[in-house]
Amino acid sequence: MALAVRAFLQPEELPLKDFFDTWKFKILIGIAVFLVGIMAYAGANDRLTAAPQELLSVAVAPFQKAAAMVSSGVSSLWEKYTNIDNIIAENQQLTEENAELRRQMVDYDRIKAENEAYKALANIQSSRPEMSCTSAFVIGRDPLDPFYGFTLDQGSVDGIEVNDTVVSDEGYLLGMVVEVEATSCKVMTILHPNFNAAGVVSRTRDNGIITGNADYAADGACVLTNLNRNTLTQKSDQVITTGLGGVFPADVLVGVVKEVVPEVSGKSSIAVITPGTDPRTVRHAFIITNF
Amino acid sequence: MESRRKRSRSQIIKWVCYTLLMLLCTVLQTTPGLFQLGDAKPLWLLPLALAVAVEEDEFAGGIFGAVCGLMWDYTAGRTVGMLAFELLVLCFLLSAVVQLYFKASAANFVLLALGASLLVLSLDWLFFYYMPGYSGAVERYLWFVLPTAVFTIPVCALVFGCVRRIHAEFKIDNGIV
Repeated sequence: MALAVRAFLQPEELPLKDFFDTWKFKILIGIAVFLVGIMAYAGANDRLTAAPQELLSVAVAPFQKAAAMVSSGVSSLWEKYTNIDNIIAENQQLTEENAELRRQMVDYDRIKAENEAYKALANIQSSRPEMSCTSAFVIGRDPLDPFYGFTLDQGSVDGIEVNDTVVSDEGYLLGMVVEVEATSCKVMTILHPNFNAAGVVSRTRDNGIITGNADYAADGACVLTNLNRNTLTQKSDQVITTGLGGVFPADVLVGVVKEVVPEVSGKSSIAVITPGTDPRTVRHAFIITNF
Repeated sequence: MESRRKRSRSQIIKWVCYTLLMLLCTVLQTTPGLFQLGDAKPLWLLPLALAVAVEEDEFAGGIFGAVCGLMWDYTAGRTVGMLAFELLVLCFLLSAVVQLYFKASAANFVLLALGASLLVLSLDWLFFYYMPGYSGAVERYLWFVLPTAVFTIPVCALVFGCVRRIHAEFKIDNGIV
């Protein structure tokens, strides 16, 4: 071992053609075989990481947290200058929406009072005390992931488990935990085609499957598939989860319908959903650990 | 001429510097939104592994490439060993190619690293986007793979400069003039 370390630190000058006969080359081949082996093991066990990486995650997580904090300031400054036109347009739109919402507030207060009364009558709980959430910050993103998966700074020591639901600060569905390390976890977003959750259009009660689609992922949109061809769903309808299957809680907000388009075969329709919170840029989330 | 102990110590410090540089590159590569233009974000770990392979020999470069690849696998949440294997082979080949055919200059390195980046990005696109049959594969290649490779060029020059500086700082003085 000492010989190998010394040789590594003080490389001998060998012609390359002789290198293939040395023990160093055999070590490289050994490492390559080992890597292929653990890759095959990870693939066969449907597990993305192995035990050594869990140890690695403990060492790297603090660096990622620190960098995420620094970059949060830098990138928000950067975004301010690069998106100034969008921000002005958005500001104007929000001002108009704000005025509309103020008008709706009057109706809302009345409906809320009525609703409270109905709830009292039906003895329905106004909140869901059985639901427990854990606050988490986004500490890493894979630049090669076309579906914007990210890493959160909470892991198994914080009680996070695979398949836990991830929502934004505003309560919109962002994705689900697909892998848990000791101090961090990986999230598959609702933009990923492998993501599947039972969903319903709240106005029409049309059922479907919330999933990602490569056509819309780059625009930050997901889809509700399997809708009836003659669905009454239309633009601006709210989409929520049904809780069917037990993986996701019921009535979690997803977003609003952007458009309804026919499925390729023409047998059903697809509702393109603009998520309430954009999973591409989110920096903080809540993980629902119990519901 | 340096004593053997002094030489060993300087070589250990050199590899500690490379390791710290690897941690820094990992953080820069995975930090959300940092240096991002559109969908594209430059790669940091790949240029570092290649630069070390060029400055050191093919054995050390290959092993360092595998370690960088493992770090990339972990931070990206990918199947462990895949990028590690890719980087091991790439670093070994690049080191051998530079020793046999190229002068280890910054310009040559940037060109070779650009080719290697394109290869890694194209393989990733092929296996994880094109072959699963996702739509918009050509657009993905044009608007993500190519810009990412282009954005990696300045990183290559910067990382190569850092690695060359570290290598020169801890160069073994064997007394030969």
